[in-house]
Amino acid sequence: MTAFFSSVKLTIILLAVLAAFVLLGAWCPQISQAGLDKVIEQFGQPMADVLIKAGVADIFHSPAFLLLIALLTINIIMGSFKHVFPKLRLLRLPMPQLKSEQISKLPIQRTIVLRQSMSAYKNRLANWLTKKGYSVRIDDNYLTAESGKYGRLAPTVTHIGLLSLLFGLTISSWTGFSGFRPAAPGESFSLGDAQHSRLWIGTLPQWLVRINETHREDYDNGEAKQWYSNVSITDRNNKLLKNETISVNNPLTYQGVDIYQSSWSLKSLKLHFNGKQQELNLQPMGKLFAAFLPLPDQAVIIFSVRDQHSPLRIFAKRKDWSAPKLVNQVLPGHGINLGGVSIVYDGTVAQTGLQYKCDPGFPIVFFAFVLIVGGVSLAAVPHRQIWAYLDEQSALAGNNMSVIAIGGTTKKGKQSLARQIEAIAEDMNELEIHQGKAMVSRITRSALGELNVGADCIGPFINGSMQSTPTLENAVTVGCNDDAIPNIRNTSNRRNVLDR
Amino acid sequence: MFDFSPTQLQLTLANAGGLCAVIAFWIYVLSNANKNWFKKMQALGGAILLVAFICLTLTIIMRGIAANRFPLANLYESTLWFSWAITGGYLFLLKKYQAYQLGWLAALTATMFLVYGSWLPGNQQEVTPLVPALVSYWRKIHVPPLIISYALFCLSGLAGLIQLWFAGRWRSLIIAVITIACAITAILLGTYTEIETGWLQLLFVGSSIAGVLLAWKSLPVVKTDRVNQQNATTYDEISSRAISIALPLLTFGIISGGLWANHAWGTYWSWDPKESMALVTLLSYAAYIHLRIHHELSAERLSIVSIIGLLLTLLTYLGFNSLGFGGLHSYGRFK
Repeated sequence: MTAFFSSVKLTIILLAVLAAFVLLGAWCPQISQAGLDKVIEQFGQPMADVLIKAGVADIFHSPAFLLLIALLTINIIMGSFKHVFPKLRLLRLPMPQLKSEQISKLPIQRTIVLRQSMSAYKNRLANWLTKKGYSVRIDDNYLTAESGKYGRLAPTVTHIGLLSLLFGLTISSWTGFSGFRPAAPGESFSLGDAQHSRLWIGTLPQWLVRINETHREDYDNGEAKQWYSNVSITDRNNKLLKNETISVNNPLTYQGVDIYQSSWSLKSLKLHFNGKQQELNLQPMGKLFAAFLPLPDQAVIIFSVRDQHSPLRIFAKRKDWSAPKLVNQVLPGHGINLGGVSIVYDGTVAQTGLQYKCDPGFPIVFFAFVLIVGGVSLAAVPHRQIWAYLDEQSALAGNNMSVIAIGGTTKKGKQSLARQIEAIAEDMNELEIHQGKAMVSRITRSALGELNVGADCIGPFINGSMQSTPTLENAVTVGCNDDAIPNIRNTSNRRNVLDR
Repeated sequence: MFDFSPTQLQLTLANAGGLCAVIAFWIYVLSNANKNWFKKMQALGGAILLVAFICLTLTIIMRGIAANRFPLANLYESTLWFSWAITGGYLFLLKKYQAYQLGWLAALTATMFLVYGSWLPGNQQEVTPLVPALVSYWRKIHVPPLIISYALFCLSGLAGLIQLWFAGRWRSLIIAVITIACAITAILLGTYTEIETGWLQLLFVGSSIAGVLLAWKSLPVVKTDRVNQQNATTYDEISSRAISIALPLLTFGIISGGLWANHAWGTYWSWDPKESMALVTLLSYAAYIHLRIHHELSAERLSIVSIIGLLLTLLTYLGFNSLGFGGLHSYGRFK
């Protein structure tokens, strides 16, 4: 059972099913976000009914989705402790020392015979690897080199991040609260009706939020640029505790509660009809706000305004008219006479929409986010290990000849590592050329479908059945795959032939 | 008389960048015609793509000067960034892997996105004032990593296509190409026509599901005489490398979006369609990483997974605007 819940296969299945659920939720408007009307508008009543019954229209609160999240949580926790965290011990362990036979089993490896002593070359190889970012250790005939060691921390860091995220969100859920409140200037409200989870052990603050003023800043073309609200925090005796002007992306914070400027609209029109004050509620109509005053015979007067400073436009609509007709317009503070009725436009009442939230788990969630990004970034760092061994027991060793087995392993960037090992061999080759000596290279087929000069080529030299001096030409003539010949003759060409 | 205003300069530079991408595409294609010219033409193609990258970099800078704000606020500007990122990403992979065959696909994709951007309706191209929600430094932090990650995911999917070619999986490759073509057609129809979005969603999702399943089922069909295992391995590695760079960027983009939302509205996540879709893309690549690390799938199957990722990326980036999905992120919406 433990093995099942901690398995990577379960992780992959859960990720795929979860992705399918989220995809469905993205495709179908969610009732909790967009409202029921949006679902009906998009799909029509019959289809909407099917989607609602199937739970697709509120998929993120459906038992199946919550079960998936619970399973993934269990999988992350169990997988972390069973597979991921134990691997941390590997970081402390030094690289083992490998001999020729062990190196020959590595997926990327070469055995090189040099007609010179190896002692000088060891340092040259160590310097080359150090320049390539490896940390190198030489011990007698053994050389070990490692790069991107911290890339191995990627799963650990990511999983610690995920577990921290779960912990932070749990803290927020158990102690935090949130809410939304539209309010006009002069109004105050408490946070008593805030929403929180059923399992909740937090407390709600006793202080009040008062709206002193709210306005909209526009671009030159009349589009909204920013909304502002001057907000005061007061105690129950109206004592001022804090005052600040907030705007979108610029919230007020008091005692761990953040108050956000979330929306803005015009609430009502202030008018005088024949000297009698009246307030008409406004409704948002696209970029405009409108109020409707019904008249007898199904006629209606429509008052339309764009913002606090724009003129009030007055339209009339009769049953037999296809569209409303503009009757007049009036600036704030001015009046007109309309069919014997004096109308004075005093202005508008604005309404700010404030979102508030207390999120005690935020520091942990933020820390978790940093860990997740860091962990996923570490996954891009390839961890590479290289072993080299000077084989003095080889049949070719001695007589001023050195045999070196070199190989490496990595989970990412195998081609790059193969190229690096090849570059090392090439470097040895150059060293030989400088000193006017010949080299024979034995390249064993690796798991990458690498070069094809196999043990058949070098075998005769190693087991002593061929008496002549080992040379490149000899190696080729004993039956190597022709494809490998250009690679042996000029390894630098390999990149260029890659795409052919 | 030439107009040296930033507005005119950014248009000229964008056109120059697009022209260079077209030239690079043809040079890369023609380089395969003659083995003697191959190396020289590939080098020339890379050089011209580098010029395209420089032109696009300057275009973005000039756009910022002309708009007097960070130039990533509408769909047109995002296509500039996407083309810039796919060109830059390819040049990086070229330096690292000498991946010449990816060149013509990268150049073609950059060209397509530049053309797509230039044909967008005027309201998607003009420099317009920002809505209050976008007036924030978070825009500079949240959006660029996402667009760059989308470009790198596309490169990964394209490398997956080439991997299938070199692995001799021609039938799977043809099906995958047709699938991607159907998805692109749905997006183009959604952008430039008035066709009912329901049909377009069906075209995109239906063809993607059917195409991926068919491509997967066709993997056992191998043209053994055309297999180049070494190149297949290289392009598998390129695909994986592009994902390993893109995934942290996508993760950072999604998380910074959550932090922005928390800073602006007091909530990290609201299951908005676009953010949900970005999460789907993240989950699919998280599955890819797990599949790869634990050796669950062959390189060819991983290529199909990277192509699934490419389709999801297209849906996240353009599909939700052009196929009629709503939500908070509908700044580039047409319908």
